[in-house]
Amino acid sequence: MIRFLGISNHTLFWYYLASNLAYLTMLLVALRTSAVHQRRLESHRLNWIKETPLAPPITIIAPAHNEESSIRVAVRNLLALDYPQLEVIVVNDGSQDRTLEQLREEFRLRLVRAVYVPVATSAPVRGLYRSEIDPRLLVVDKEAGGSKADAVNAGLNAATSPYACIVDADSMLESDALLRIMVPILEDPKRVIAVGGIIRVLNGSEIVGGHLRRVRLPRKSIEVIQVVEYLRAFLIGREAWGQGNMLMIISGAFGVFRTDLLRAIGGYKPSAIGEDFDVVTRLHRHLKETGADYRIHFVPDPMCWTEVPSDLQSLGRQRARWQKGLLDVLWANRDMLFRPRYGRIGSFALPYMWLFELLAPVIEIGGIATIILAASLGVLSRGFFLQFLLFGYAFATVISIGSVLQEEITYKRYNDWQDVARLVSYCFLEHFPYRQLHMIWRLRGIWQYMRGDTVWVPSKRKGLESATVR
Amino acid sequence: MRSIFENLWRLGPAAFVVKAIVAAIVGDALLLAFILLRRTYRKRYFSKRDARVFELRQHWDALISGQISYERWRKKPFDRRIVETIALDAFEAAGPAESARLLKFLRTSGLIEKRIFEARKHTGWRRMRALVALGRTRAPEGISALAEGLCDADLETRLAALRGLGRMACPQAAEEILAWLGEKGLTVPALPLQSALLQCCAERPQLLIPYVQNAAAPLREVLGRVLGEVATPSMGMDLLQFVGDELDELRAAAARAMSHSQTGLGLDVLNELARDPVWFVRLRAVVSLGRLSDRRAIPSLLLGLTDANRLVRLRAGEGLVGFATEMVPIFKQVVGTHDRYGLFAYLTALENANLRGKLESELQGDTGVDVEEKKRLENVLQTGTLPVEEPATLASVPHKVEALP
Repeated sequence: MIRFLGISNHTLFWYYLASNLAYLTMLLVALRTSAVHQRRLESHRLNWIKETPLAPPITIIAPAHNEESSIRVAVRNLLALDYPQLEVIVVNDGSQDRTLEQLREEFRLRLVRAVYVPVATSAPVRGLYRSEIDPRLLVVDKEAGGSKADAVNAGLNAATSPYACIVDADSMLESDALLRIMVPILEDPKRVIAVGGIIRVLNGSEIVGGHLRRVRLPRKSIEVIQVVEYLRAFLIGREAWGQGNMLMIISGAFGVFRTDLLRAIGGYKPSAIGEDFDVVTRLHRHLKETGADYRIHFVPDPMCWTEVPSDLQSLGRQRARWQKGLLDVLWANRDMLFRPRYGRIGSFALPYMWLFELLAPVIEIGGIATIILAASLGVLSRGFFLQFLLFGYAFATVISIGSVLQEEITYKRYNDWQDVARLVSYCFLEHFPYRQLHMIWRLRGIWQYMRGDTVWVPSKRKGLESATVR
Repeated sequence: MRSIFENLWRLGPAAFVVKAIVAAIVGDALLLAFILLRRTYRKRYFSKRDARVFELRQHWDALISGQISYERWRKKPFDRRIVETIALDAFEAAGPAESARLLKFLRTSGLIEKRIFEARKHTGWRRMRALVALGRTRAPEGISALAEGLCDADLETRLAALRGLGRMACPQAAEEILAWLGEKGLTVPALPLQSALLQCCAERPQLLIPYVQNAAAPLREVLGRVLGEVATPSMGMDLLQFVGDELDELRAAAARAMSHSQTGLGLDVLNELARDPVWFVRLRAVVSLGRLSDRRAIPSLLLGLTDANRLVRLRAGEGLVGFATEMVPIFKQVVGTHDRYGLFAYLTALENANLRGKLESELQGDTGVDVEEKKRLENVLQTGTLPVEEPATLASVPHKVEALP
């Protein structure tokens, strides 16, 4: 038993060290990438893209399910985006509230017979509507498909542009977000097939007339901790993975894809729990199998602001769902692991996801259990345990503060001193007890999946109401 | 008393962990200190800058007219940067008269000369900034310095020079870019190059022809795309040579450019390109045929309506809807294709153009169509379904050569 505990504690130590070192490496890569990106922007004027006839048309696909309170503001925001050739498709996914009526009233919709080719699986469409005020707006009214993927597919079937931008109807894009996210595509249209943008936390900010007027940190601790998490995940994680062309997730709230490739893989998988991870993994698989030379980019400055859960229960459900989605995709694509055909995706990105994302809660909770067991048996070296705890805490804090620094030296959206001070203080506070709670939620997700609970359940969201809307 | 290092040594294996803790804590402290200092510095800098900008703004007219001696601000780098920034920002939005006044100020104050000097003598980051500023002035005397910047080893500097030349928007700048391309080939991403050439070649697109003829494959494609955008009707004969080109992109560019050519010549060529095996060549041809607004284009547009590619179908539908005076005969032919997707594309274009009501009323008032036929067409228009459902199969349409995009 004592031997087992010894091995277990050592495994935990090295696992933790490896995980943090990986993050430290990513932090350094991300800092360098951001610095280069900022320098490049110095000579880059976005209005050139706006004026060039070479910019390809984009279809924005925004699935909406029971969004009556925010749909008007959200669609106005989408139509006001800076981009030369834009089509906005709002998919009313069987809303039971007045979402469609709100759209009808605001945008004077008329029933049309637009091209709808059912390439991707989706629930039956009840009607297509075009706005009389702004003909760029098309509304697809469909029966509820039970998943966001199903709704996105309906939009994909109606899209007429070579690029599709998938967004959440209750998220808020900055006015130049499309211009920025298209930069990698315009620079290398043959190879860049998808680009992900950054997602930031909307809670607490101020929206005026469909535009984000003032960025503020949310009030609740649970929301601020998520701000730190999002900064870490996007400004460090995705930035670094994107550099190595190993980006595995393009957030469902904001990403651009080549429409033909999305159709070639049959669109989003309606049964997928984590549809955003699933679609990128299937794109990698498809392109690797066809031997294509491609790139999937992450761009850190086109910002999409979205609501995050503001209570523990919703957050727990969301994180459990994410974990289920992760397991669902990793398990379905386990044949890609360590196969030379899938290059660095199979040999590096996916193993990392298995080891440091999927199994993290199992290993961490297991580690805590063995520590408790060792303590109860009286074989725990208290000195070493305390040192390990302090080391883990300080190291993890370096990563979190690093992500705040990254935000500070590059995008600097939190202008208020108070906001930055709070953000930094939560870098220290998030480790107890939030981190442990987070692990339990994720473990629950794995357990639910193994029990066969794989139904996609949308979380209750306040959408743009989470910000102050005027 | 033992030193701290001896104490650490005595810890044995735990020493590693202790060192790591110390490193991590120092890391935390350094990061925090950096954030704090940076914020403080920036706050001070910007408040100082804001105050100075306000002061200079108060005397702006006197400053650029020379009433206030240039020497008073030129020697202070802080002031010089502010004045230059204000002038260049104003330049972006200025009308012709104000632009001329600002350009005169930039010249007489020596700011342009200074930037030219910096663009030539500095390297790296400072050279890039000078090139960006020089480009923003749009002063022709900066062209040669910008052209020299094209040969820099650093990509970002080359891009800054290229963008600067693009802003000049004149044939002289185009000549410099093209000469550099002829010498070095494609050493920058396509988009900034295309943007710069689009701006510079608009006045004299003929400049591109010899380079398109002689360049290597990737550069030819890029130049062909620019040619497609800037070609003028007078270039019809020049463009004919690219219609049968082996590069898909170049045929597509020719198709795009032919929409600017004289109708008779353009039609024949575009009708041929509308049957090209590559979908985006057909797409460009169909779009151009729609733009020509010549009824002889209708058969090719109808063929486009039955294309395997949905973008081609949609654009063909838009082209057909453009023939507002012949809506009924065209609709009849659309129904005659027996292609459900084609019919949908046409109806989509019709509804997007808000012309469905017009077609309905024209159909009702048309005396050239017999009652039975009229009823059938009205029914198709109302229901969006063909009288006898005959969804076109890939085999039934000769040009469905590729999978859906």
